[in-house]
Amino acid sequence: MLMLAAIVVLHITTIILLLVAAIDNAWWVDNSVSADLWGRWDFSNNVWHYTNLKGYPEDYLQAVQATSVLACVFTILALFVFVAQLFTLPKGMRFTFTGILQIIACLCIMTGASIYTAKLHVNDTSGGYGHCYILAWISFVLTFILALTYFILRKKKE
Amino acid sequence: MLTFLALTSVVLLGIVPEQSQAIAIYTGWERHALVGSDIRLSCSFFSWRWTSEDVTFSWTYRPDGSRDSISIFHYTGGAAYVDNKGPFRDRLEFVGNPGRRDGSILLKNLELNDNGTFTCDAKNPPDIVGRPSSVRLLVFEKVPIQAGVITGAIIGVVLGLLVLIVVIYYLMRFLVARRVFSLSVSKHGKKKKEGSQQRQGPVPPADPSKIKV
Repeated sequence: MLMLAAIVVLHITTIILLLVAAIDNAWWVDNSVSADLWGRWDFSNNVWHYTNLKGYPEDYLQAVQATSVLACVFTILALFVFVAQLFTLPKGMRFTFTGILQIIACLCIMTGASIYTAKLHVNDTSGGYGHCYILAWISFVLTFILALTYFILRKKKE
Repeated sequence: MLTFLALTSVVLLGIVPEQSQAIAIYTGWERHALVGSDIRLSCSFFSWRWTSEDVTFSWTYRPDGSRDSISIFHYTGGAAYVDNKGPFRDRLEFVGNPGRRDGSILLKNLELNDNGTFTCDAKNPPDIVGRPSSVRLLVFEKVPIQAGVITGAIIGVVLGLLVLIVVIYYLMRFLVARRVFSLSVSKHGKKKKEGSQQRQGPVPPADPSKIKV
């Protein structure tokens, strides 16, 4: 019972972290600039202004956008499938479908974060990675652990 | 009833000619093209009158950032006059069919300076009151990727594949289960038929006195 609660809490935490990483525009930060994946926030005259992203390799940026969104979708789907499988799975079986969805989410966020690291902001001298970038990699680790858990876990035989 | 119909038709015939004096001109809204390519700017019109022999088409061009328009094409009296002095000399060709109300022109070998607004004005005497229609031309060096196209494509394809795989998986399970079920039913059914045929021989004839009405 405790294990079930722990897994569900961890899964929900992962969902929240992935959503923050995907939605909040803070993959790259500089003094008074917070950018990616969807827009750019500039702080000038004590006000934050939102502008479009310019001068990025469009195809790579859109690939990162797509994979981040897909990672969120798959991990949320995995939660629903896990809850469904809790009731429908025969005893002693493994949660494979949930595990598959979760590993796909893991692959997606890994692909997205890797493309971001390799192709965007490669030659920028000032600025660094923001909290969304860090959260993306943390979510990669968490989704991987969760996927392994679902592949190993068996429903209790009673 | 008949008089009512006659009255309405007379009224309509009276109203419609008033509105039919306006000619409606159609061009595109915006056209995108690559440097060095050709583009066809289409222009057609709608008019309640028959296409007259004095139909005229004229195209004017206003470069981006300029306030002046320059006339680049005129069709009148059955002859087309293309630009031979302006920015489009030797690059403009008339590809329309005035008889079919089509006054389209073809711009060849586009340059970056050709960005601007092209206005088509058509007149179909006596239908001359109308608003000219404009089409904006945008010339690119490289086709730009529109916002979100790749994102949407990746997301759509992956989710579509997921749905497809799940559907196929459940379909296979359903079909396999059905085949197994139908096989067992047919075996069961054969056994039942043989059993019932053996019993039908010695069935006694129905006693009429026992049949209740």
